[in-house]
Amino acid sequence: MEDKLQELVVELLGDGAMEYFIGYRQGFEPSHVVPCFVTDKSEADRLIWGPLCLQNLSKYVLQARDLDGKVGLLVKGCDARAIVELVKQHQIERDKIVVVGVPCEGQVDPRKMEQVLGVSMEQVTDVEDAGDEFLVKVGGEVSKLGKEQVLRDKCFYCKHPTSFDYDYTLGEVQPFTIDSESEEYDAVEKLEELPLEERRAYWLKQFERCIRCNACREVCYGCYCKECIFDRTDPRWLDRTPLPRENEIYHLIRAVHLAGRCIDCGECERVCPVNIPLGRLYKKLQKDIAELFDYEAGMEYDTVPPLVDFELDDQDPFL
Amino acid sequence: MDRKKISKADLGRWLDTIAGKYELIGPTEDEGIIQFGPVQSSAELTLEYANSLIPPKSLFFPPVESLFAFRKRGEEIQLEETKPLQQDRVIFGIRNCDVGSLSLLDRVFCDDLEDSYYRERRERTTLIALACPTPPRSSCFCTTFGIDPLSPAGSDILLTDVGDVYLVDAVTDKGEELVALGEGLFAPLTEGEEKELQPPPVDMPQLDVRELRERLEALWEDEYWEKLSLPCLGCGICTYVCPTCHCFDISDVGSTSDGVRYRCWDSCMYSDFALMVSGENPRPTKRERTRNRYFHKFSTFPSRYGTGYACVGCARCLVHCPGGVEITEVIKDISAKEGVSDR
Ligand code: SF4
Ligand code: SF4
Ligand code: SF4
Ligand code: SF4
Repeated sequence: MEDKLQELVVELLGDGAMEYFIGYRQGFEPSHVVPCFVTDKSEADRLIWGPLCLQNLSKYVLQARDLDGKVGLLVKGCDARAIVELVKQHQIERDKIVVVGVPCEGQVDPRKMEQVLGVSMEQVTDVEDAGDEFLVKVGGEVSKLGKEQVLRDKCFYCKHPTSFDYDYTLGEVQPFTIDSESEEYDAVEKLEELPLEERRAYWLKQFERCIRCNACREVCYGCYCKECIFDRTDPRWLDRTPLPRENEIYHLIRAVHLAGRCIDCGECERVCPVNIPLGRLYKKLQKDIAELFDYEAGMEYDTVPPLVDFELDDQDPFL
Repeated sequence: MDRKKISKADLGRWLDTIAGKYELIGPTEDEGIIQFGPVQSSAELTLEYANSLIPPKSLFFPPVESLFAFRKRGEEIQLEETKPLQQDRVIFGIRNCDVGSLSLLDRVFCDDLEDSYYRERRERTTLIALACPTPPRSSCFCTTFGIDPLSPAGSDILLTDVGDVYLVDAVTDKGEELVALGEGLFAPLTEGEEKELQPPPVDMPQLDVRELRERLEALWEDEYWEKLSLPCLGCGICTYVCPTCHCFDISDVGSTSDGVRYRCWDSCMYSDFALMVSGENPRPTKRERTRNRYFHKFSTFPSRYGTGYACVGCARCLVHCPGGVEITEVIKDISAKEGVSDR
């Protein structure tokens, strides 16, 4: 699949069909995969694809706003939901983007893999997809890990592993099974069962660790405001100091702003350097939005996120 | 002082004695991350770590700290100073890259413009460094910047794990005071042990940085920065995890009549970092901001303070950057470029 991808990118760059292509390359060690911006045909051979291509690259398409031409990118089915939303939310024209869809059979959660293997990812030299399991190489030895042990949370409930909207595609997903009984909202429901005060205490304890590096905001496709409320200095709505009460407000504001738009890409949780389980917070929002409005973000083009929509006969007793 | 040894079993006892007299700070693990934090007893410490996520600079220059509280009653303004420390402290387990970073931060906070908060914390803290495990993490590149993971330079005591015992090098008076607290726990080395008990040599890739500054300075207008900054998200991770980054922001929290003046970390990678009241922003895009970060590390800081490079090769930014902007690649790229552009 990598050959096919590299050939396609060479062709598209050669035709001038796009200014650059965004995919993945290996980083400083084999298990560390990072975004790769291919601006020249000669660099296309750095592109890779596999179960460690974790990043959702979709937010980078906003950079095409400043370009005359288009940007191309490699898109997993889950990440395509961000593109759908960005287009729907009028942040970018669909025709500024060349979508190369890739069939994804599940991505590895490195933190889970480290726990299962009992070694750090730096010792993992290769992870290969083999249907229902991953073949993992550590120090020359290959072991098999069932997907249910190490998949990213979101992959368990993936609804379209290949994008429904693409300009080019690298193929079809081969069917595989995940040996798991857990349900999509299990973790959320467990938290929901706690009494209010305990639930609050749980989140406050998590937020206390936050250093307010803003990475969760910057990585989120939905945080594209020209001037974020957190950056306003006049008036200062929220202080930059990472004090517990400011942190709490920071996370609540971001959550509310993403309600109905969060596409469950899991990027905020993945990049957080202090392991705050943001995925759980955003999963709760998705659950509420699904229950209240029967809406799932990024699944089709012809609906509008419920909280940015209105109808003239909406009830508005509070106005 | 001569090299001594302490058995692994006695280490905890020594640290507990220290904890009775000082505030003891060391590596702990919580929610899967290693942090330096205060502990009541040595049992709370972990020794299974390469390094902490947030560098121990945070113990001298905290992510957020109150500088003073103010109160206005009528025409009268009262100020209440914040005491940075209640008690003298001992930091156990600091690694040598981070020890090296403190000597760089000393230049910033204790040279001509003295920062009393930082200085008090520095003066009232004793450092027990722990030589790095061999082999080090594959990402580490401290030796590139002349840091020796096995040297006591910059700390008060260096402990080196050589199997059943730690070698103990107390190199300052403060260090010797701590060793004296552990009476009976330390033993001198026999002649045979002097030779035998040696840590394995450190083996890590070393980058050539001899001409880095000159080559970098020739690249100010190069298109390299545009390309390099494409994957940057403009988050602050690289600066927040960096032991040598030291930018901060100051704000008053509360009301104009009752409040606290805080200082907290800031990041040059934020789009509004250089934004001025006039609306002018001298670093308007990621290109300028990314370029600034590397210039500051490899050119501005060394020329301002007359030091070596302001990077200690801890690799935190390398490992944690969500965009995959890799400082080791940047160093290689710059070194590989001929002085192409005019400045
Ligand atoms: S990424 Fe984590 S530490 Fe950074 S602001 Fe978000 S929650 Fe806080
Ligand atoms: S809130 Fe988190 S999971 Fe949701 S879209 Fe943003 S980055 Fe992705
Ligand atoms: S270089 Fe990496 S860590 Fe630094 S601001 Fe850019 S994306 Fe964030
Ligand atoms: S490797 Fe990165 S984080 Fe570490 S000192 Fe150098 S610039 Fe800072």
